[in-house]
Parts: sequence; structure tokens; C-alpha cells
Amino acid sequence: MSDTPTHSPAVTGDHAAAGHGHGDDHANLAKHVRIYLIIGGILIFMTGVTIAVAYLPWFDFGDKHINIAFGLLIASFKVSLVCLIFMHLRHERGLIYKVMLFAMIFFAAMMFLFCLAYMDPIQDSFLKT
Amino acid sequence: MQIPYEVTARPDTGLYNAKVGIWLFLASEVMLFGGLFSSYVFLRLGADFPWPFHELIVWPGFVNTMVLIASSVSVVAAWASLKARRYGWYQFNMIFTIACAAVFMCLKAYEYYGKFTHYSLKFTDGSVISGHPLHDPKDAPGTTHGDHIVFGEVKSIVFDLEKSNLDFLDGRRVKKDGAPYAMPGEDDELKFKTPTGADVTLTKSWLKEKHRAFMDARADLRDEVTALELKKPSPPHPTRDDAATKAEKDDKIAAISAGIERANAAFLEEGKQKDLTATLKLDVVGDPLVFLVKENTTMRYGAAELSYRENTVLQGKLITDAIQFNVDLIDLRQAKDHDKSLVWKHLPELKQKFTSYRDAQLKEFSEKRPKVKEPEKDEDAQRDAYRVVFDDNKEKFLSHDEAHEYLHDTKRTISVPRAEKRFYSNFSPSLSPYYAIYFLMTGLHGLHVVGGAIVLSWFLFTGRKMYLSNPEHLANRVEVGGLFWHFVDLVWIFLFPLYYLM
Repeated sequence: MSDTPTHSPAVTGDHAAAGHGHGDDHANLAKHVRIYLIIGGILIFMTGVTIAVAYLPWFDFGDKHINIAFGLLIASFKVSLVCLIFMHLRHERGLIYKVMLFAMIFFAAMMFLFCLAYMDPIQDSFLKT
Repeated sequence: MQIPYEVTARPDTGLYNAKVGIWLFLASEVMLFGGLFSSYVFLRLGADFPWPFHELIVWPGFVNTMVLIASSVSVVAAWASLKARRYGWYQFNMIFTIACAAVFMCLKAYEYYGKFTHYSLKFTDGSVISGHPLHDPKDAPGTTHGDHIVFGEVKSIVFDLEKSNLDFLDGRRVKKDGAPYAMPGEDDELKFKTPTGADVTLTKSWLKEKHRAFMDARADLRDEVTALELKKPSPPHPTRDDAATKAEKDDKIAAISAGIERANAAFLEEGKQKDLTATLKLDVVGDPLVFLVKENTTMRYGAAELSYRENTVLQGKLITDAIQFNVDLIDLRQAKDHDKSLVWKHLPELKQKFTSYRDAQLKEFSEKRPKVKEPEKDEDAQRDAYRVVFDDNKEKFLSHDEAHEYLHDTKRTISVPRAEKRFYSNFSPSLSPYYAIYFLMTGLHGLHVVGGAIVLSWFLFTGRKMYLSNPEHLANRVEVGGLFWHFVDLVWIFLFPLYYLM
């Protein structure tokens, strides 16, 4: 059986990886894969940096919370790259941004939900006991 | 039925339907994992124990991060290959992605296995050691019993005919070829004498038969007693009933009550004759028995009796309840007095070494961070100085060979009586809230990896027909699967530093 589809390439959506001709398709494919590989390389490099920040004495700032903040910052940068490049959030439709904005608001709210533990009007907060 | 807008974009959203669906699903996933990350922060800030920091081995997590990043590249490349109508490249990238998922799960299984076979023991004074209970050493099988209670010289076993089962027999051991706690052979029979003097071979079918007979007899008794109770007149009324009626009623009630007592007595007497009492004591015929018992299967135990949770009672002698343990770490962060720690009762030769190590570490910390006035109270200093890993890469406390000896040689096995134990567990969710949330989040993430790999495999192995008829449809499917896969990667990008590095 041949691997040639009956339909010609139908590029739909707003983030097509390929162009309109087979030659263009292949060139675009190579270009896109190269970008993906570069981003993958950056992600792996940044993972190495995260480990270095956590373990190497050069990054001993005298307070591990600074290292934690650095680690989270790098993780956020990596997540941004994955979202923008791999998940194509650079150029998506408005509906998706709205849905994700809604989710991110909930995410942020949940990240601060534990603060309710400080809101005990009778006793001191659990951190002080 | 044809589902609309599988390939082309819907005019109002500008997107094909599956894409809207996957983004809605991912939004719900963000909220799910957001809740779990929030729980992590809550547990960490409120921990009343030293939070495990830099305790997980980093390399499996790091390799898994690289594996997931590589798979993220390959899954998006697979989609791009379909867009360019390069089916061969698509297949290659999908196979690579699925292989990455398999590698990820294998490494995760390796990590989990390590945790489930590694134990921590907290003494009553707060000192902690970790390592593993001794299992049968290769050079002397059956000579040790790790973390089991050894209950021997068992001459009688008392069964609860309603609740007992024979699961406890799995712990039975015999002397064989010089090994005191060898597994009995499959044809090894257990002979007992019942209270009536009957000889019994203890089997599951025998116990089941006894259980049924006892339950039937008890049901018959209950029927009989219920029938008699129903015949009882109402109690005599103090004002409405005259004296004669009262006397008649009293007589009748007394007669029926006597009947009930007789029925109960007959049940008990008949039970004794047929060995159908609620608790049936069987005496061992021949040599007394020995059992290795897991603590969590017992209700209580003492010098002469051990009760299982399912009510079976062994009557014999407690040989030992000590935990035989090989140590690879000492942690005195929660011990009140390091010099009097219970650890030194079992590892006295390490006390001086520990003191020197601790003082040197505190001094080093003070030099490194002169701003910290009381390093003894600083969390980081405590972790460096009060917690010693035997097999440290830098061999700061023990040499590699010494550490190996402490962990693997029976000469170094310590014996901790259970009375000295406050808590004992493997590195499973029961050990601490840290491990509970670690297993919850990494386990849930692992399930996502497996689920994603199954979906991508489905696209790979069944996609050719769709590719030939409608390649754009397959490309859209792979894009949707890929979006989920990237989300799995995103979660790991946060999980890795949080658990392994921070």
C-alpha cells in the first residue's frame, strides 16, 4: 500500500507547519523540526541550570529560599517555552486564551488557598503553634 | 453519525471541535494539578517535621525530564510530519514518543521500588534511622526474620469459628537443614487434637466446614429463641392486671425464660460435644509450632499469647519482637539529646564519630554563613550536621566499604526492640505527608503518561487508513493528543524541581 494520501495537503488552522506544495512542505517541516529541536535543547539546558542552582556552591546565596525562587523562575520560563512553541499558544484563537485565562485564575486562587490556614480568629496560625 | 468540524474550523470559534474540547479538558487539568500543588505548599509550610530537602536521588528525575522533553519534541514533530504528508517520519516520531513514555515509566518504577524496599525507623526519643530490615542472607537462609515478630513454642491455637481464617499459616516456619525459620513443604500436614479428643488435620476445607456448622447451629438457636420470645405474654400491668393474671403471666414468662436458658445451655453442650464452640481450642500434636508474624496483622501480643486481628489466638512463647535492621542513615534532628539518643545503644561505635562529624559540620556552616548566630537552630545547619548518610559520595562520615558493610553485612545488623519504636515504615505514603503528596502527584502524573501513551499508540497503529483517506483528520487527532502530551511535560517541569531539588 502506498503512503500517499488521496487528499492533497489541506493546511487548515492558523499554525500550519507546512506550506502548500510538497517541496515547501518538506522544507517547512525541516525548518519547524529544527526549531523544535532548538527549543528542546534549551529546555534540557535549563533543566541542567536548575540542578546547578540547587546543588552547586557557586549558587549558594546563603538562603535556600532564593534558590527555590530561582528554580521556580526557570521552571516557569521552561513552561512558557513549551506553551508558546510546542503548544502553539503564540498564535491561537481568542477562545483558547479565554479558557486558559479562566483556568489560570482558578490556578492562582488555589495556590493561595492555603493562606486560609492563617485566618483562624481563635488560635494563632498553624505556623506559630 | 458524522461529527461536524472534525477537520475544518467551526466558523464561530475558528477552531475544529476536538481542539476546543482538548483545551477545555486541559483547563480542568490545570485546576486539578493546581489544587495538588496548593496542597503541596500547604503541607510544606505547615510541616511539623524536617521537610525532606535534597533527599531524593536526582539522576532518575533528571533523566526523566530529558526523556519527556525529547518526547515533547518528537510528538510535535510527528504532527508537523503529518502536515507535510511524511507518514514515515510521523511513524518514527510517534514510536520515539511512545518509547520515551516507556522509559519514563520504567525509571519511575525503579524509583518507586527503591522507596518501597527502603525503611525508616523512628525511636521513642525522636531519633531516626533508615535502612532496611534484614532479610534472609544468602549465606545463611532462614536464620533471620527482619521485621517480623517471632512467636514460637505454640502448643495450642484458639480459633474464632465465626471470624478466623488460615491466612496466619503463611507465617509458619520449620527447622530445616540447619535453618530455624525455613518455609514448610507443601505436603507438610498440621495435626491437632480437638477438645473432644478427635484428631484433626488443619485445612481450609475443615475450617470452612466447622464455620458453616457453627453458624447453622447458631441460626437454629436464634430461631428457637425468637419463637419462644414471641410466645411471651406482655409483662403484668401494675394496675390493670389483677393478682391472678399477674401470677399467671409471671409463671408463663418464667417458664419461657427457663426454656430459652435450656436452649442456650443445650446449644453450648451440643457445641462442646461436636467441637462447635464459638472459640475452639486446638492442641498441637507433635512438635510445637513457630510463626513469623507481621505486626500489622496482630491485635495484641504478650509473653505467652498472640492475637491476630481476625481473632485467632496463638498460645506459646514470644521469642522476639525486635526489628533486625541494617542502617544507612542516622538523623537526630528530632532527638532532644544527641548524646543520649537510643541510636547509640545499638551503634555505640559511631557515637564519637557522629559527634566529631556534627561539630565539624556546624563549624563549617558557621564559617560559610557567619550571619547565622545560632547554627544549632538553623534548619540548613541541622540538616548538614545532625543527619548523616553513610554512603555519602564524599565519604564524609564513613568510607564506601564501611557504609556497604553497615547496610548489607549481618555483623552490623542491629536489633531494635519494638518498645523503643515510635514509628516504622517503608518510604511509602504512610511515612510522612511529604511522601503521601509525592506519591499522589507523581502517581497521578504517571497515570497521565500511561494514558497519553495509549492514545498516541492508538493513533500510530490505527492511523494509516485515516491518513490515506483524510490525512488532515489524522493530523488534527495527533495535534490534540500532542497537546495533552505537552501538558504532561509541563506538569513534570514543575514536579521535578519541587520534589528533587527544592
